[in-house]
Amino acid sequence: MPAVQDTIDRVRKIDVDQYKYGFQTEIAMDKAPKGLSEDIIRFISAKKDEPSWMLEWRLEAYRRWLTLDEPTWARVHYPKIDFQDIYFYAAPKSTPGPTSLSDVDPELLKVYEKLGIPLREQEILAGVQKTDASELEEVSDNVYKSGRVAVDAVFDSVSVVTTFKKELAQAGVIFCSISEAIREHPELVQKYLGSVVPTSDNYYATLNSAVFTDGSFVFVPKGVRCPMELSTYFRMNEKNTGQFERTLIIAEEGAYVSYLEGCTAPQRDENQLHAAVVELVALDDAEIKYSTVQNWYPGDAEGKGGIYNFVTKRGDCRGDRSKISWTQVETGSAITWKYPSCILRGDDSQGEFYSIAVSNGYQQVDSGTKMIHLGKNTSSRIISKGIAAGFSQNTYRGQVSAHRKATNARNFTNCDSLLIGDQCGAHTVPYMEAKNSTAQFEHEATTSKISEDQKFYVMQRGIPEEEAIALIVNGFVKDVIQQLPMEFAVEAQKLIGISLEGSVG
Amino acid sequence: MNMHAQPQRTPAETALIDAFGDRLSLLPGDGAVMLKRDDAIETIKHGLPTRRVESWHYTDLRRLLNTVPDFDPAAMAKAIAPIVEGSAVVSILNGKSDAKVPVLEGVTFQRLSEKLIDGSIAPGLDPYGSDDAIGALNTAFVADGYFIDIADGTKLEKPIELQNLQAGGQTHVRLPVRVGAGAKAVIVERQTGDGAALSSSVSQIVLDEGAEVTWLVVQEQPETATHLAQFKAHIGKNAKLTLFVMNAGGKLVRQEIMVRTTGEGADFKLRGINLLAGDTHTDVTMVLDHAVPHTTSTEVIRNVVTGKARGVFQGRINVHQYAQKTNAKMACNTLLLSDDGEFSTKPELEIFADDVICGHGATVTEIDHDHLFYLMARGVDEKSARGLLVKAFVAEVIEELEDEAIVEALEARLDDWFVAHG
Repeated sequence: MPAVQDTIDRVRKIDVDQYKYGFQTEIAMDKAPKGLSEDIIRFISAKKDEPSWMLEWRLEAYRRWLTLDEPTWARVHYPKIDFQDIYFYAAPKSTPGPTSLSDVDPELLKVYEKLGIPLREQEILAGVQKTDASELEEVSDNVYKSGRVAVDAVFDSVSVVTTFKKELAQAGVIFCSISEAIREHPELVQKYLGSVVPTSDNYYATLNSAVFTDGSFVFVPKGVRCPMELSTYFRMNEKNTGQFERTLIIAEEGAYVSYLEGCTAPQRDENQLHAAVVELVALDDAEIKYSTVQNWYPGDAEGKGGIYNFVTKRGDCRGDRSKISWTQVETGSAITWKYPSCILRGDDSQGEFYSIAVSNGYQQVDSGTKMIHLGKNTSSRIISKGIAAGFSQNTYRGQVSAHRKATNARNFTNCDSLLIGDQCGAHTVPYMEAKNSTAQFEHEATTSKISEDQKFYVMQRGIPEEEAIALIVNGFVKDVIQQLPMEFAVEAQKLIGISLEGSVG
Repeated sequence: MNMHAQPQRTPAETALIDAFGDRLSLLPGDGAVMLKRDDAIETIKHGLPTRRVESWHYTDLRRLLNTVPDFDPAAMAKAIAPIVEGSAVVSILNGKSDAKVPVLEGVTFQRLSEKLIDGSIAPGLDPYGSDDAIGALNTAFVADGYFIDIADGTKLEKPIELQNLQAGGQTHVRLPVRVGAGAKAVIVERQTGDGAALSSSVSQIVLDEGAEVTWLVVQEQPETATHLAQFKAHIGKNAKLTLFVMNAGGKLVRQEIMVRTTGEGADFKLRGINLLAGDTHTDVTMVLDHAVPHTTSTEVIRNVVTGKARGVFQGRINVHQYAQKTNAKMACNTLLLSDDGEFSTKPELEIFADDVICGHGATVTEIDHDHLFYLMARGVDEKSARGLLVKAFVAEVIEELEDEAIVEALEARLDDWFVAHG
C-alpha cells in the first residue's frame, strides 16, 4: 500500500518539532498591565480611541463574563487558565496608526516577509508606492506566486497595516481594522457587531467581546463582487499575551467576498491564549467564502507550550439564497476548540463546511461545525477529514439541526478520520436534531460510501481500489485547497498532500 | 458529572428523597447493601441530571421527571401470557418476585430479595459513574427481582420470559443473570403494566466463554408511565450476545445499554426499534466498550416518530487502545412522520486503537416519495402505502432474528402498535 505509506511519511514530516514559524522578534512593545479588570478594559478602549457606546458594550460583556463558568464539555484537557497572568493588550510602539507602509516599523515588515506575507511587494506592484528597479527585482518572484491579495496584518493586539485600501475603496469595499471601523463607520459596526455572536454567547466569546483588541472589518456593498481576495494574517509575538481579535464581515445583497486568515506564533514553553470571534453576515443572494490555514505553534514534542485556540466563528445567512462557506486547514495549536457554524436563516440559503484537521505530538483538537436550519429549503454540507498521529486526540464534533419551520432542510455530513500509531485517538461526536418531517439528514463515516460511481470509474481503468479511493480523496482535498489563494495554498498543500484511505469514522 | 449546584430541589427530587426516608426500614439488605443505598441516594440529593450533563444532553431528567408517584402497597398486577408460547415465565408483580418459579434443568432462579438480605449482590450495586442516575435510583430503592444462573453447557429449547409488571406506584427491580460456558438461551424481558408508575429496572448479564444469548427487551408501558431501565452485559471469550430492544410505549422512557467485550472473539449485536407516538419522550442510550482485541459488533436502530413524540438515540462505541482488530458498525435510521415529532441522534466513536474498522451512519428522513409513488401507481391508497412502507422499515430489523417463533411474536407486537397508532 504505497499510498498509505506516503500518507504516514507526510504526516510525520509535519511533526511539531519542525515548526518553522517559531522565531521571535524583538520589537518595542506598548503593553497594558497584566490581568483583567474594568480598568484594563477602559484602558484598551481609550487606547483605541473608542466612542463611549463601545466601552459600554465591552463593560457589559465583561460583567456578564464574570458570571459565566468555563465550558468543560469539549474533549480537551488543560490546566486552568489564570486570566490575571495575561497581558490583554500589547502593541508595537511605533504604530500610532500608520497611513502607509513607509510608516511601518521595518522590523515588523521583516517579520511578515519572513512569514511569506509580502505586504510591501504587493503595494509596490499596485503602484501605491514608487520604488527603484533593484527592489522590484528582488521581490518579483514572490509576487508572481502570490497574485493579488489585500492583506490586513495583525501583530499581537493591533492591526499594523492594511494593503490595497484605495483600490478596494474604489469598488466600494471597506476593508480595514475593526478599531478603525469603530471610529470611521460606527453605524455599520453598531448595526452588525454582536448580531451573530452576541456578547452572551459563550465564555470565550464573552471574554472576547470585553477585551478584543483588533481584527478585520469587511463591508461589501450591494451588488459588488469584491475585486480581490481579502486576507488577514495574525501573528502573536509578545510573551504572556493573549490575542483576542474580532472579525466582522458583511456582504450586502448580491455581494461576494472571499476572505482568508492565516496565523502563526513564536515557539515558547508556556501556553498562550487565542480567543477570537468571527462574525459573518450574508444578506439576500450574497456569498461569503471564509478560509483558514491555522498554523499556530502547537507545542513541542513533549507537549510543552503552544497556543490554546478557543475560537467562536459563526456565519449568519440572513438573506434568502445567501451562501456561507467555511474551509479550514487545521494543523497548529496545542488545543483547538473551534466550530465554524452557519445559521441558515434565509430561505434557500446554503452552508458549507470543509475541514482538514491534522494533529500530531500532544495536540488536542475538538473541532467541527454547526448547521442550524431555520429557513425553508435550506441545505448544508459538511466534509471533515481528521488525521491523528503521535499522542494527539482529534475530535470531530458537529451539530445539524432543523427547526420546526425549516421545511425541506437538507444536510449531508461525511466525516472520516485516520489514525497513525496506537497512542492517538480519533473521535466523532455528531449531533443530529430533526424537528421537521420534511428534513433529510444523512451522516456517514465510512470511506467505502463516498462516491461509488467515481470509484467504479477509476477502478474500471485498472487502478486498484485503495489507490482509486486515495485518488478521489486527494482530488477532493485539492479542490478545497485550490480555493485558497496561492500563498496559502502552497503552505496548505505542503501540510496536506495526504490520502485518507484506510480511514475509520 | 458536571453537576452544577442545584439552586432548589424539584418536587420530583424532593419526593424521591422523602420516599427513601420513608421506605428505608422496609428495604431488604445487609450492612453492605444498605451502605450502597446511602451512597446512591447521595447522588440523587446532588440533583437529577440536566442537559448540561453530556450523557443526558437530550433527556433533561430534572425537567422531564416532574412527578413521582408514591409507593402503592395496594397495587395489584396480574401475570400475562408470554409472547412466545411455551416459554418459562417468571414474573415480578408490582416490584415483588413470585416465590413460585418454573423448574428448568440447568437453570437456577433465586429471588433477589434473598440475595439483598445476605448481601451477596452488594458488589454489583455500584452505579457506573456520577452521571448514572438510573443506576443510583435503582440501587437506592431496589427491593426485588430475580437472580438467574444458567449452568455451563445448558441449551434451552424454549425462551425464558421475565415479566416486570406494574400497576401504578413505584417499582424498582434488578435482574442479574449469569450464562455459563457454552450455554445457549433466549431471554425475553417484558416491561409493561397499566398504571402511572415510576419503574426502574436493571438487567445485568455475564456471558461466560462460548455462551450464546438472544435477549429481547419488549417495553410496552402505558403512555402514563415513566420507565428508566438499564441493560448491562459483559461478553466473554467467543461468546455471542444479540440484544433486541423494542420500545412501544411509556411517557418518559430511558433505556440505557452498557456492554463490554471482555474476551477475544466476543460478538455483540444490537437491533432496536423505537415506535414513538403521542406526547412522549423515549431515549435509547448505548455505551459499548471494545476492551480486548478481535471483537466485533453491529448496531442497527430504526425509529418511527409520530404525533408529538420526541425520540433520542445516543450510541457511543469506545475502542480501547489494546482492542486492535475491532470491527464495529452502527446505523441509526429514523422516519419522521409528523411535523410535531422530533428525533435527535448522537452516534459517537471514540477510538484509541489504529488497526480497526469502525463506522457509523445516521439518517433522518420522511417516507421516500418514489417508494410511495411506486405503490400508489399500483392502486394502493396512500394511507395503506405509507403503512406498508413504515412497517417494512422496522420489520426488516425483526426478520434478522431468524428464530421463527420470536419473529412472529414480535411482528404481532408490531401489528398491535400499528393498529393502535397507525
